[in-house]
Amino acid sequence: MSANRLTRCGDIAPLLVFYACNEVEPQEREQIDAHLTGCASCAAQLREEQEMQSALISAFQPADQLDPSGALLAQCRSELSELLDDLSAPPLREQWSPFGWARRWMALRPAWSAAGLVLLGLAVGTQVALWIPGRDGNFGVGQAVNVKAAAPLTNEDLSKMAVAGVNFAPAADPSGTVHLQVRTEQPIVLSGSVDDADVRRVLTYVVMNGEQFDPGVRLDCLDVLKTRTGDKEVRHALLAAARRDQNAAVRMKALEALRDSAADDAVRDTLLEALQHDANPGVRVEAVNLLVRSLEGEASGEPPAPGAAPEIAGSQIPPDPSVDRVIRALAGLQHRDPSRYVRLRSAAALRQIGPREVQ
Amino acid sequence: MATVASLPQVDERCIVAEAQTGNRAAFEELVRRYDRDVLRLALNLMKRPEDARDVYQEAFLKVYRNLHRFRFECSFYTWLYRIVTNVCLDHLRRRQARPEDQAPETNAGHADEGITDFFERQREHRPTLDPERRLFGKEIQSRIALAMERLSPRERVVFEMKHYQGLKLRAIGDALGTTEETVKNSLFRATRKLRTQLGGLR
Repeated sequence: MSANRLTRCGDIAPLLVFYACNEVEPQEREQIDAHLTGCASCAAQLREEQEMQSALISAFQPADQLDPSGALLAQCRSELSELLDDLSAPPLREQWSPFGWARRWMALRPAWSAAGLVLLGLAVGTQVALWIPGRDGNFGVGQAVNVKAAAPLTNEDLSKMAVAGVNFAPAADPSGTVHLQVRTEQPIVLSGSVDDADVRRVLTYVVMNGEQFDPGVRLDCLDVLKTRTGDKEVRHALLAAARRDQNAAVRMKALEALRDSAADDAVRDTLLEALQHDANPGVRVEAVNLLVRSLEGEASGEPPAPGAAPEIAGSQIPPDPSVDRVIRALAGLQHRDPSRYVRLRSAAALRQIGPREVQ
Repeated sequence: MATVASLPQVDERCIVAEAQTGNRAAFEELVRRYDRDVLRLALNLMKRPEDARDVYQEAFLKVYRNLHRFRFECSFYTWLYRIVTNVCLDHLRRRQARPEDQAPETNAGHADEGITDFFERQREHRPTLDPERRLFGKEIQSRIALAMERLSPRERVVFEMKHYQGLKLRAIGDALGTTEETVKNSLFRATRKLRTQLGGLR
């Protein structure tokens, strides 16, 4: 369009809608401007166009006026949470299935498949086995052996080990067995309950010494440990990860694992530290959420977290100084945090907690 | 939008990746980051709070179910924005197919009093603190709402995104998965229809 010279009213008129809302090319704009100086009819039409657009815009009711109190947003959030509760876990990343086509083919032709598999088994058994070294019954060097940990792992073992993978599926295995693929001097698969001393030592060691291990392994270990946050040693490891780990996702997961212990003093200290000093806004928001949750829990009279001081019957609960610190920290954050979202979240958190007397 | 710009991209990637592994807390963090913008967009496009609420739920459920398909080829917000606008478009199309849903919440008593020149009235009676003028402001809003309802869903979404959200035509095309030329045509038709329905100046 811009290649042709725009001179006639018939060419100009359809472009005035876009001219009025600043959506014409610079070259078109120049030609339209030139035409408007000499054409009263098109100039009048442009004025009408601009008047209509400004009238429509000025009569526009901003969305904030439709939900001034934020009640609709709160309602949407709670409904979405319920919907998500009802849904099963989302599908994980699609796994590449290299022999999916073969499985589908076999499922449709069972007789041919059975015959084929027998032949394949014969071929493998008679030919391929000849090429495998160490077929006299000894395991090759470096091969993983499934063992029960006979001797406790030493500190030296721990410092030299590399954890290749963690396999833990509490849903599939009610006993909560963990399989750890550990490479020490000889690779082993350490299997046992989460409460097994060696398993627990490996898991907490990984979490507390994050720099030696892959972040994925650290996240897997946190997944296992979050089922045992009542244990003092586990909580200590989670607190260390939340404070020191280099990876924001690991720190966030460590905080999330501590969500049910957020009323505990040490946990609350860590949350406050994350709130005020963590470099990652996502972690700071998680800390805000957990602190709010813990304070709401206290206000609604939920049972105290493991490790919290038991309430004495009939006695007056003394004011908790850490609550003041939380409120002060949030009040500071809502003004000073570099992230706008954290500032907004802190302000919302203060409203959520409600007015409390700060000592 | 400002919220998105203030947060480092790397953090968003980290949270999205975590949510892709099935971490519910990470997903909820994403929701909390963007849901104000989503609701605002839905309210702008749908006008009715109950419809905006449906759009909010449907859009986030789509995100939840399809997050594993997100490949970081654009920002998460762009991807989310595309989903929300398309959900809005679907809702508007469904609404148009149901005649009982077409009448907007208007102040009918004032809308049909034979006001022939909408723009004349608009100039004289801008809504201010004066209750009488506020009433006229409401009337104008209801007339606009009525006229907007008569646009096709795509025309309506394009008009809203251009004039009320200030997006460029190219960005609207990206969000709706169509070309800039198609968006341009929709905007042209929408403007013509609104002019006719609001007691045009010709």
